[in-house]
Amino acid sequence: MAYAFEVTIKSLPFLLEGALRTLQITSLAVLLGLIIGTLVGMAKLSKYKILSYPAVVYVEFLRGTPLLVQIFIIYFGLPAIGINIPRYPSGIIALGINSGAYIAEIVRAGIQSIPKGQTEAAKSLGMTYWQTMRHIILPQAFRNILPALGNEFIALTKDSSLVSVIAIRELLRSGQIVISRTYQSFAVYIAVALIYFILTFTLSRIVRWTEKKVAIP
Amino acid sequence: MNSADSKPILRIENLWKSFGKLQVLKGINLEVDKAEVIVVIGPSGGGKSTLLRCINHLERYDRGKIWFQGELIDETSTDMNVLRTKIGMVFQQFNLFPHLRVIDNLILAPKIVKKLDEKSTMEKAKELLKRVGLLEKMNEYPSKLSGGQQQRVAIARALMMDPILMLFDEPTSALDPELVGEVLDVMKNLANDGMTMIVVTHEIGFAREVADRVVFIDGGIIVESGTPDEIFKNPKHPRTREFLRKVL
Ligand SMILES: Nc1ncnc2c1ncn2[C@@H]1O[C@H](COP(=O)(O)OP(=O)(O)O)[C@@H](O)[C@H]1O
Ligand SMILES: [Mg+2]
Repeated sequence: MAYAFEVTIKSLPFLLEGALRTLQITSLAVLLGLIIGTLVGMAKLSKYKILSYPAVVYVEFLRGTPLLVQIFIIYFGLPAIGINIPRYPSGIIALGINSGAYIAEIVRAGIQSIPKGQTEAAKSLGMTYWQTMRHIILPQAFRNILPALGNEFIALTKDSSLVSVIAIRELLRSGQIVISRTYQSFAVYIAVALIYFILTFTLSRIVRWTEKKVAIP
Repeated sequence: MNSADSKPILRIENLWKSFGKLQVLKGINLEVDKAEVIVVIGPSGGGKSTLLRCINHLERYDRGKIWFQGELIDETSTDMNVLRTKIGMVFQQFNLFPHLRVIDNLILAPKIVKKLDEKSTMEKAKELLKRVGLLEKMNEYPSKLSGGQQQRVAIARALMMDPILMLFDEPTSALDPELVGEVLDVMKNLANDGMTMIVVTHEIGFAREVADRVVFIDGGIIVESGTPDEIFKNPKHPRTREFLRKVL
């Protein structure tokens, strides 16, 4: 037992390096997801079917298939048709595309939560669709959906452990490497779990703080 | 007076509008001259809001023609965003932008739509806030203002674009009675300064005092129109009489 503890402590810097990579991957994926999600969410609400239909298909397909399969398609599937993406970007893209679908739904609900009068007031002042979105609707919508986006960020932090299967050395993968050298699977997995928890707990605090910070007086 | 001035600012000819099967406007004809104040009255559901919203093209219409400043408004060739900068609109629910301070509510559109520089826009905004008596509220958020104050800010915001025509859709209907006066005062001043205005309201006192012409709309048509005296003292149509009996 004492040995297991010692091994884990010794491997901590290595695990933390993995945790840092987990944070990196997740942050970039959330960023990608936010961009995709905002555009797809807006497209879903478009009166033009050529925009709304593909958006619906995107959301339904990505939410209706396992993330693990999506990761495999991007990292192992695409090379078969001549598209080679290195593992690290592959992981980020897979996670980003996936979270984009969930964020699209959140953004759509957020936009719909803003009273129609806001759009009309903006239009009556001569603002274009994009100006109205950029300056009036999205700033209000994002304040409303911040809690949901925070949850998505936290969920993605946990889901990012799936990219360990394509040998990206994030937190879980780092733990597995330590175990393969030391055979202390119980202690190390517990350590890994604790680090995930610290990450998600801290994130939820940051989200709550941000919520208060940007609330409309 | 040159010929552009003598033309009506707004001319509406045979305007029809339906929502699905519901026929809301059934052939509206209306001309508005420069500096004229038109007050539109009529029962709820008669199509008053729809008429205003067709004028600045917040709503598309099915049939009919609208000329603004002598130019036919056309779906394909008129830039509706440019058109809307020339037609100010004030809503029953104020519709201020809650995430922006009062001053930013005023300067946003001039800045991003007209691309005017911040400094002159700022000065103009302060001037207008002074005019509506709310300069000291410039850094407040809308939620901190009373309904009457919010509506005055909304009027100032619309005026920032230097509109040629102002549309008011029941601007005092959502206000507590004691706050109605301050908003009507701002509108009276605006009318006295020569603004062309179409005002949907139930404030008969305002109509009597300020309107050049009163238009009674019911069931999607203009049932009767005339000077305030003609409409309020001597309404010709039974529907007008019945309506006035209810509101007076
Ligand atoms: N966007 C809409 N969709 C469907 N029906 C509408 C819409 N806007 C207005 N209406 C209907 O059109 C009629 C006229 O409405 P409106 O112009 O708001 O009347 P008013 O302002 O005179 O009370 C009402 O029956 C209303 O329910
Ligand atoms: Mg109305």
